[in-house]
Amino acid sequence: MKIIVGIADMKHSNSREDSIVTHALGSCLGITIFDPSTGVGGMLHVMLPQSSIDPDKAAENPFMFVDSGVPRLFMEAYKLGAQKGRLEVRVAGGASTHGNPDDDYFQIGKRNVVMLRKLLWKNGVMIKAEEVGGTASRTMTLDLATGEVRLRINGVDHTL
Amino acid sequence: MSLKVLVVDDSSVMRSIIIKSLRMSGIPLESVIQAGNGKEALAALEQNPIDLVLVDINMPVMSGDELIVEMRQRPALSVIKVIVVSSDHTDTRMEQLGALGVPIIHKPFNPGQLKDLIISLTGVSHGESSQETAF
Repeated sequence: MKIIVGIADMKHSNSREDSIVTHALGSCLGITIFDPSTGVGGMLHVMLPQSSIDPDKAAENPFMFVDSGVPRLFMEAYKLGAQKGRLEVRVAGGASTHGNPDDDYFQIGKRNVVMLRKLLWKNGVMIKAEEVGGTASRTMTLDLATGEVRLRINGVDHTL
Repeated sequence: MSLKVLVVDDSSVMRSIIIKSLRMSGIPLESVIQAGNGKEALAALEQNPIDLVLVDINMPVMSGDELIVEMRQRPALSVIKVIVVSSDHTDTRMEQLGALGVPIIHKPFNPGQLKDLIISLTGVSHGESSQETAF
């Protein structure tokens, strides 16, 4: 079954028959985690770096922000049997929303990436693979049969 | 939020003074570890999550400015805050450190000066609670 992750959304599964997909990753970040031993996987699609800019929105939907969404991505996977030390983390997105990144005053994509790296570092989690930055919109798919993550840019697929 | 701090100086006496100043400043500290030069500091940074590095400049094996340049080139380390603790007041040295874009505190300093600089750099002050959940 194909499970769709919307914008500011998170999904998990422990079925090898499932794949988890998110579309339109621009400055947003797609973060996948996968435990090869249990087949537990999850995906988060976050929009902004820090929940402190709008605590009410963060309380309503923690998946909007990196600092409030990422802990939930891991905690939910633990509930399904995943173990932290086995989790493979992959990251995509964080693009500039402008054709010329130098004109991107708010640099949300870049700030999302910095916030994520800081958060993972603090919690002793390493990123297995990442493709961030640039200006392209990405579609990200986690295949729970293999743990493989594929990215699609302008109709062309490749493995992350 | 409590800070995890790495103090880098080739003088064990100076490291002790810096750590004592840190504790007297009232800044909440989760942990403080030490390194005797830049090379040891890099090894410590690879083994420990660190929020803030207080680093001397003139050290054997690997100097403080070499350490800062090396940290900037590694994505996982480039986000870590750095303060230079130096007794070198020469214009040339100040220009070199200014080019690295790191704040400097001159020896001798008092705990209040150190506290003000850390708060301005990290946003952490006594009594602040973290919004982040550990996972």
